[in-house]
Amino acid sequence: MSEKPKIAVYTCYCGGNISHTVKCEQVAKLLAEQPDVVVSRTNMSLCSDAGQSQIEEDIRELGVNRVVIGACAPSLHEQTFRKTVIRAGLNPYLYHHIGLREQDSWVHTCDADGATCKAVRLMAAGVAKARLLDPLEPIQLEAEKRALVIGGGVAGLRAALDIADQGLKVVLVEKTPFLGGRMAQLDTVFPTGEEAHILLADLIDKVVNHDKITIFTQTEVTKVSGYVGNYGIQLTQHSRGVSAENAKALQDACQQMVADEFNYGLTERKVIYQPYHGCYPPLPAVDWEHYNGEPININGKSEILKDEIQQFELSAGAVVVATGFDPYVPREGEYGYSELPQVVTLPQLIRHMALNPGAKSLEWQGHKVRDIVLIHCVGSREIEGIDEPQEDGQVNNYCSRVCCTATLHMIEELRENFPKLNIYDLYQDIRTYGRGHEDYYINALDNGTRFVRYHGEEKPKVFAAPKGDTHPVLVHVTDALTYNQELEIPVDLVVLATGMQPRQIDDLVKMLKVSRGNDRFLLEVHPKLRPVETAVNGVILAGTAQGPMNIQESISAASAAAAKVISLLGSGQVELQPFVAAVDPEKCNGTGACVEACEYEDAIALETFVEDGKEVTRAVVTPANCTGCGACVAVCPNRAIDVQGWTLAQYEAMVDAIAMDIVDLVEAG
Amino acid sequence: MTKLNISNEPKILILATLAGGYAGADSTGQSHVDYPANTYILPVMCPVMFPPEFFIRAYERGIDGIILMYSGTDSPYKVEAEGTAKLINATYALMKERGIDTRRLRLAAICTVCVKPFLKEVNNMHNLLKGIGFVKSELKSHPAPLQGAKS
Repeated sequence: MSEKPKIAVYTCYCGGNISHTVKCEQVAKLLAEQPDVVVSRTNMSLCSDAGQSQIEEDIRELGVNRVVIGACAPSLHEQTFRKTVIRAGLNPYLYHHIGLREQDSWVHTCDADGATCKAVRLMAAGVAKARLLDPLEPIQLEAEKRALVIGGGVAGLRAALDIADQGLKVVLVEKTPFLGGRMAQLDTVFPTGEEAHILLADLIDKVVNHDKITIFTQTEVTKVSGYVGNYGIQLTQHSRGVSAENAKALQDACQQMVADEFNYGLTERKVIYQPYHGCYPPLPAVDWEHYNGEPININGKSEILKDEIQQFELSAGAVVVATGFDPYVPREGEYGYSELPQVVTLPQLIRHMALNPGAKSLEWQGHKVRDIVLIHCVGSREIEGIDEPQEDGQVNNYCSRVCCTATLHMIEELRENFPKLNIYDLYQDIRTYGRGHEDYYINALDNGTRFVRYHGEEKPKVFAAPKGDTHPVLVHVTDALTYNQELEIPVDLVVLATGMQPRQIDDLVKMLKVSRGNDRFLLEVHPKLRPVETAVNGVILAGTAQGPMNIQESISAASAAAAKVISLLGSGQVELQPFVAAVDPEKCNGTGACVEACEYEDAIALETFVEDGKEVTRAVVTPANCTGCGACVAVCPNRAIDVQGWTLAQYEAMVDAIAMDIVDLVEAG
Repeated sequence: MTKLNISNEPKILILATLAGGYAGADSTGQSHVDYPANTYILPVMCPVMFPPEFFIRAYERGIDGIILMYSGTDSPYKVEAEGTAKLINATYALMKERGIDTRRLRLAAICTVCVKPFLKEVNNMHNLLKGIGFVKSELKSHPAPLQGAKS
């Protein structure tokens, strides 16, 4: 910093929101006494045109080169005032914002003097920081106008289409041989009742025929390098194993059968397969995971199928992670699952219904179902200490959000198709939160469904009925709706409304360096301020990779992810905030402590230079890879590295200002 | 202009992450719930940037209690949860060396809408400091110079 600081301080009344508690005039007067402050003003509403004009005028006419504003929360107007100072010709990072409304006047309404003293100290801290501010420039990077979308489910497809529609290239990779993801396994979807495969076919058709989108199925991301604007991606693709010419013959001749995961194990399929009629790509594929390597005889010749794995590289400016979810699979014995054949999951029942369209009665394993019970919250809202943890020690304490409506949607279908069925719905709470979802609950109440409310601490129990009983299964439940009456419900089928679980994508998480929450879903930076963005620049989330969502929400999140990608790469240049680590070459002597402390690959490295005939080793930051966490700052023994805009010296100065004794200043005021 | 009635209460510094505690403090403000005014919140990107000496320096300058409000394991930064726990442990060791009551430093996971946990942490620290008083009395009784402190 070369020029002497000339600081302007503004204390906003916020139309009375601040000034009703904080004595703004007194704050302004006291701040005017601070060294380097050339002007200290109050304003009724600083964000108004008049307020902003005043700031611009002071910068131009008084030669102000630092601005400190005490107003509402920075999240509301920090960007507004950055633009204001830019208009007056000042670097936008020579401005500091203090939240006097949410963090002072609104929370100390009974202590006006305390709130005023707090405002003085916080504003003085702002002045102390402002003295040490340096002009900063956003980081400009060339951007590859191509996005990689990982996942060919509904979120990945939607994101790819939205990005491509804006003229950017998209590479869509799908791990399995077919597009469609979990949505392809659904029958009809709430709240519109449309058929999932028709909606999906329309979307897939648009994606497949888009000239900006390249699709790779049976493909995984195996290496990631680089940074936003210029990610280097290695893809590994398995071969399809069949060609258009020999596919039918091979499929006909193939004898090896495996459980069909598309139908959740209800049926079997061949290892050369298509999951459903009309899937894309239409060509069958070999299930390499299960193929036993035995030769397949066609036309008198035996053929052993070989997976010819290919690897190739591509560059992408941004990565959209749309890896989806896995349905919760109950452990053996949980509500009788996998012990009693009459206990199934809701996804299994959905597939069962889809496989038996037009059936006159609901049958399960050859037996007519007269009484059915559906149990909510299986694998969701689990309670630590009560529910048994999974193999990895996790307890799913979150709500999966979609299962309540999905269960009630199923009840509606059951009632329409099988009017004589006795239906029992065992729930903790009904969470039909979306538009039109509550109708399913109201309809279920009207159509004779019997609701039984249980508490999470006292879950229903499922038993095999004694031999000769009228029904094969008994469900015991304590009903909170009838003053904890113990009920025994004899039923033919138990349906477990299983929740959503995060996908096993550990390798991808490591490669992309993204974070996971306690629930193991991927984390966005901030649900309101920076939704769908991860802390890694250029890595964006779409759909259920970041938490349970229904199809509508997945599509919205995918479109939001696409909008982020478009705004990031659209101009061919990426602009990043300058809040990244910076090394002071005068102080750095190459201890390497910062490199060791950094968790982000390629963000900081030691490099050796020749200066004045001598070799010197110093840390060098790659700004595009730095997240600005500051782990390097704490460990440097020479204080040779700092996060720009958030330096340790600035924090120390702010602490000093907060700790100061303001009695003298007040008396002067 | 009326004269301010300046309270002589211990000062609490809150270092709050932008993705967690700072937004939580804003949410508390939007709820219009009162808490003691001797609380000074500074936004931080991630608390791992502070060396333990930073905290000792703050106590020496007259900050009586510090709460680190971070995002815990829900942080967008990979280093935040583990790194902050290590930082706290190292700082506790230094505080003990200096005779500073380690209860003067708290680590709390505060999310963007954690109004009640935010209030609980602030009130707990406020009440604690009411009981144990200003940090200067502890520092006076342990005048040993800080090892490895940076200016």
